[in-house]
Amino acid sequence: MLITTHSLSADAFLELADGAGDSVVVRQLREAQLSKHLMLLHVVAEAANGTHPLSRATAAFRAGYQLLVEAQAADPSVVARLLGLPHIGSWAHDCLACLDKGTPPDFGYLAVVGAAAAVRLGIPFEMEVPVRDGRVPLPGLGCLEAVGQGEWVRLSCDAERLIVGGCIDVPCAALVPDDGSGEAVPHWRGTLLARAVADGQAWEVLLETADRYLDRYTLPMLTVMSAAEVTNWRRLIQSAWELLVRHHEWAAGPIAEGVPVIVPLVPRSDLDSATSPAAFGSIATSLPPSPVIMAETLVHEFQHIKLCALMDMLPLIEPGGGRGYAPWRDDPRPMGGILQGVYAFTGIVRFWDVQRHVETEPDAVLRASVLCERWRLAVELAVGPLLDQGLLTPDGVRFVSLLREQGRHIQHGRVPAEAAEIAREVALDNWLTWQLTHTALDASAVAALAAAYRQGEPADEQAVPRAWIQNDVRKIDSIQRSRLLVMRYQEPSRYRQLSATGDMPGLGLADALLVRGDAAAAVEAYRVQLAAEPDPAAWIGLALAVHRLSPMPSQPVFAVHLPLLFEMHACLADQEICVDPLKLAAWFA
Amino acid sequence: MSLQKQELSSVIPDLRELSLERLAELGDSVLAHSIALYRQRLKETGVPLSSFGARIS
Repeated sequence: MLITTHSLSADAFLELADGAGDSVVVRQLREAQLSKHLMLLHVVAEAANGTHPLSRATAAFRAGYQLLVEAQAADPSVVARLLGLPHIGSWAHDCLACLDKGTPPDFGYLAVVGAAAAVRLGIPFEMEVPVRDGRVPLPGLGCLEAVGQGEWVRLSCDAERLIVGGCIDVPCAALVPDDGSGEAVPHWRGTLLARAVADGQAWEVLLETADRYLDRYTLPMLTVMSAAEVTNWRRLIQSAWELLVRHHEWAAGPIAEGVPVIVPLVPRSDLDSATSPAAFGSIATSLPPSPVIMAETLVHEFQHIKLCALMDMLPLIEPGGGRGYAPWRDDPRPMGGILQGVYAFTGIVRFWDVQRHVETEPDAVLRASVLCERWRLAVELAVGPLLDQGLLTPDGVRFVSLLREQGRHIQHGRVPAEAAEIAREVALDNWLTWQLTHTALDASAVAALAAAYRQGEPADEQAVPRAWIQNDVRKIDSIQRSRLLVMRYQEPSRYRQLSATGDMPGLGLADALLVRGDAAAAVEAYRVQLAAEPDPAAWIGLALAVHRLSPMPSQPVFAVHLPLLFEMHACLADQEICVDPLKLAAWFA
Repeated sequence: MSLQKQELSSVIPDLRELSLERLAELGDSVLAHSIALYRQRLKETGVPLSSFGARIS
């Protein structure tokens, strides 16, 4: 039998590489993911059929598969939708991983997939299904609860009623997701459903809080939600949807096409969101603080979803290579992660570029403008090394080159000067902190360079010490200063309040001067501070302050060679030689 | 041929129109190449439990 492969039109590729991709393109990605799920299902089926003697789990798999065959004959679209869900992709992925490790996969889950299809289509069946924690999930619908403590239970369905374990009786019509309009049904917990509608455009999305195959993110799934929390989630989704439909149409339609599931995460102090290439169509997130941030989170994570799906079809990057700087992270990242980030933040730049014109309140306009420029700079900075590493496939080179063009296009709509200045400084702070934290240097070469400086030799005749990326080479305590610099646009009113009172909690003199905007005085205070102690955080502060002054030749030295400046200064300090950091930087310039 | 006119062929077999009954009868060989490629990618990139949530301002 000849099986062709999915193809992607060049226009679709160009649209995706432009950071977008409309609903038609996303449908192509979704259909390819359905085929991927089917391919993995085939692998699992082969393994189940090859298992002898037949176990309870493999028997359940076969029964589930057979039920899906019947369901498909009755209504292929229902089965296609079910098998395309992220639950199924995630399960199939985990099965493959188990098979490759030589451990038994969870064959029995396919029985509940079959049961979900049969219940949905009114197909009678009888079979055993696995029970976990007293529950039987029906993917995409909900889960049967309190079905007993055994590991297996028999389900019998006559198309009207579902009998669980011979004693629990639930009407099939009640086995639907919970959109908030129905009555509670004993032993049934419908998957929460949010129906968002704006200007005639609808998005139906499940809030999955039970299926263990979608509890696969760094943070755990939120498994219990109060009625108030459910209402809050639904309101936030509705408001975010209105914003997307009315102002970010490029993202709204595709999200409705490609995101059938949100997985609420247990909240930490900050917003966390995630996606997994194993679960196309699922966005995991803790509760965002506002509709705008919910919309931004959806745009951000949907970029990852699209890119993962595209990379399943067309590999864009080869494995391996070194790690590098990702301006949206604190840690060194592999090139694949940087590619993901570049794509996500290309969408985010687009989002804030529109949003800065949508906002009306001055502080919100400033915030949107800074975020647009902040992430535009980040993408611009990350794209170059990505192209230079030689890890991209030919398709990958085309893709990233187009992304870079997209960034340049946005550059034409420059943000106001104040926002650009804040964005540039916050980006620089992150870059300098990352460099000092993760750049190791050849100590003997640093010592030789320090000796050359001390002897007054020209800098351009010296060899630059070998440098390499290494996790946490130096510990830097500058979080409080960075938070206050960010506060200028994240919480402008609070920043103004603190500036007015002069109360900068947790900051030393030099940092306080910097944050208050007195760059010249800050430079002097950092020089005094560094004469007493070679503190890396003070070096970063000095570099930031120097960049606020009028252009001078040593500014690029601070931006590019800060770890070297720090190490040379520390090396000389060890010899009880006090060096003015500005003179040291000027030597390189 | 310019990119605009190309149709980019992917590594995922198109199984949308294949019934589950026929999928079960396919045997090993037909999908072997695509499955091997997918497995190879998983092996190279590790189990993708990626989280992209560690955002900074």
